Amino acid sequence: MKPASTHTAQLARLIVRSASLLVPHRNRSAWRAEWTAELWHLCHRRCCEPGDAPDADPVEFSLGAFHDAFWLRCDRIRSSGLPMLQPGSAARCALLLSAIALTALVLCLCLPGARSALLPLSRRGAGNLVMISSDGYAGTQAPSIRLADYQEWTTDTAALFTEIAFYRPAAKSVHLPRRPAARLAIAQASDNLLQLLNLPVAHAGTSVAEPGQRRLILARSAWRRIYGGDPHLVGRIAEIDGQSVLIAAIMPDGDWHFAGHIDALLLENQRNLAALPSTTKGFVVARIRPSAFPAPRGGWRKMVETRNGVTRGFECISVTHTLGQPFSVFLFALLLASLALPATTALPLGDYPLRHRRLPGTIDGRRWIFLAAKFLLILAIVDLCSTGLAYGLAASDPIRALYIQLATAFPALLFGFRWILQDQRRRCPECLRLLSNPARVGQASCNFLSWNGTELFCARGHGFLHIPELPTSWFSTQRWLCLDPSWLCLFPEPRSASPGMV
Amino acid sequence: MPADAKLSHTAAMILQAIHAGQIYGFSVMEMTGLPSGTVYPAMRRLERDGLIVSKWEQQSIADAEQRPPRKYYRLTRAGKSTLEAVYRRYPLLERMIPSPEPEHEVRR
Repeated sequence: MKPASTHTAQLARLIVRSASLLVPHRNRSAWRAEWTAELWHLCHRRCCEPGDAPDADPVEFSLGAFHDAFWLRCDRIRSSGLPMLQPGSAARCALLLSAIALTALVLCLCLPGARSALLPLSRRGAGNLVMISSDGYAGTQAPSIRLADYQEWTTDTAALFTEIAFYRPAAKSVHLPRRPAARLAIAQASDNLLQLLNLPVAHAGTSVAEPGQRRLILARSAWRRIYGGDPHLVGRIAEIDGQSVLIAAIMPDGDWHFAGHIDALLLENQRNLAALPSTTKGFVVARIRPSAFPAPRGGWRKMVETRNGVTRGFECISVTHTLGQPFSVFLFALLLASLALPATTALPLGDYPLRHRRLPGTIDGRRWIFLAAKFLLILAIVDLCSTGLAYGLAASDPIRALYIQLATAFPALLFGFRWILQDQRRRCPECLRLLSNPARVGQASCNFLSWNGTELFCARGHGFLHIPELPTSWFSTQRWLCLDPSWLCLFPEPRSASPGMV
Repeated sequence: MPADAKLSHTAAMILQAIHAGQIYGFSVMEMTGLPSGTVYPAMRRLERDGLIVSKWEQQSIADAEQRPPRKYYRLTRAGKSTLEAVYRRYPLLERMIPSPEPEHEVRR
């Protein structure tokens, strides 16, 4: 063997030093000293002991230090009794589910559409906001109110509404000097819409619009997509329908569920709106006087108008109710899954004669707490994932998003509940660890006065689980057989790891 | 650990190598052909089970030879009796790693 080159020796020392950082602090210096000493001998042996045996690579030796360090970490966790990394433990299962729920929550908060669906009640003053529709709930998704009606309500309904605003979606071309014309989905709205909805705006320009001037509020996504996030765009004058428009501000995405996809708001005063045909249909949002309406039922209020001898009814649908739709859909999916669950799996968890052993009630209680925790975590995961998926994919189309949410939440809940029950049945009722070593017992053709099925046991020696293959009148469900402590010597887990486990 | 405890073949090889006089971690690796990531954890387990003990050599010796001090291992009484039991389970172990001469004579 040639003496190790200086570079190789340095690299090996660096690896050993890095590996020693993974060793628990208490043992670090001793391990580093031993590795370093052995490495020194490995590198210098040819010099000191000529004619020695086989080649050994210092780098290979030092890489083995990572394995040692990893083993030390695992051994420390095992010896400290932390259950987190023990395979099949209840804590590991709960930790994994919590991590999934946390990841889903973070993803939901990162998706603008999902965030507003998840936190619908965070908007200030949303409780008194209503959308007025002549077509029920469908009227909140498609224009149903004529401009003429809105214009009359602005003067006639002061007793009912403190504020009322109108908008109608339309596709328009926006022209900017030295830029190609861009086709945007614009909500042509009355100029009080922003204040009424409490919509925050960002990057507001320093220039102030002249009285009567039309203002364009760009959505952040459109600002980035079409104008490349140009910071000098705000304050510039654009041209829409041959009229000049001040680009006044940028608004965050997803803070309001406008029906359809909206790239920008075009705010106009009443005089400009009046130039539109009176039969133009749009959406009307209003802030109601609570004293003017009786207590709502399901977020709906009825408004009846009689004009020129003709009586017409309109629904005032609470925005809070509309924004709470995702959770309502989730509850509906939960109801469906709960009804469908008995058709897909047996509900009983098995026969557990724990009380015969006079075990403390806390053991039985812990089992039920674990079951409840799994249910809660699965509910949270499915709610977050289905909301994130639905409103991440179809933020601009709330109806489609609701269908997507229902279509994902129902099967996810159903399979989640099935998994919870199956997982619970495969756990030891005392230590809540997954049972192992399944063994088939008996034969299906020889089950007269006997039974055939599968047996699993708890590696800690708490007992056996008998699962019948064919439920019979004398053995209908899985049965737990407790073992007394005299059997513990047969099971390896309570003892510490031995050298035989190298 | 009881004398009739079952050791894995790897642990038995390491125990035999130490018995044969390979008292340092690296020399055990060379004798057994096992990598460092296997030998050291196994030796720690053997030490924890009382089959071997480790000791750092004196700093003065290392200083005199201008090298870092090494940690050496030796068998305990329990380790020796365990090894005797292990020979029955792995008869070829002694052929792979011959025991030192005095031990052979004693056994014969």
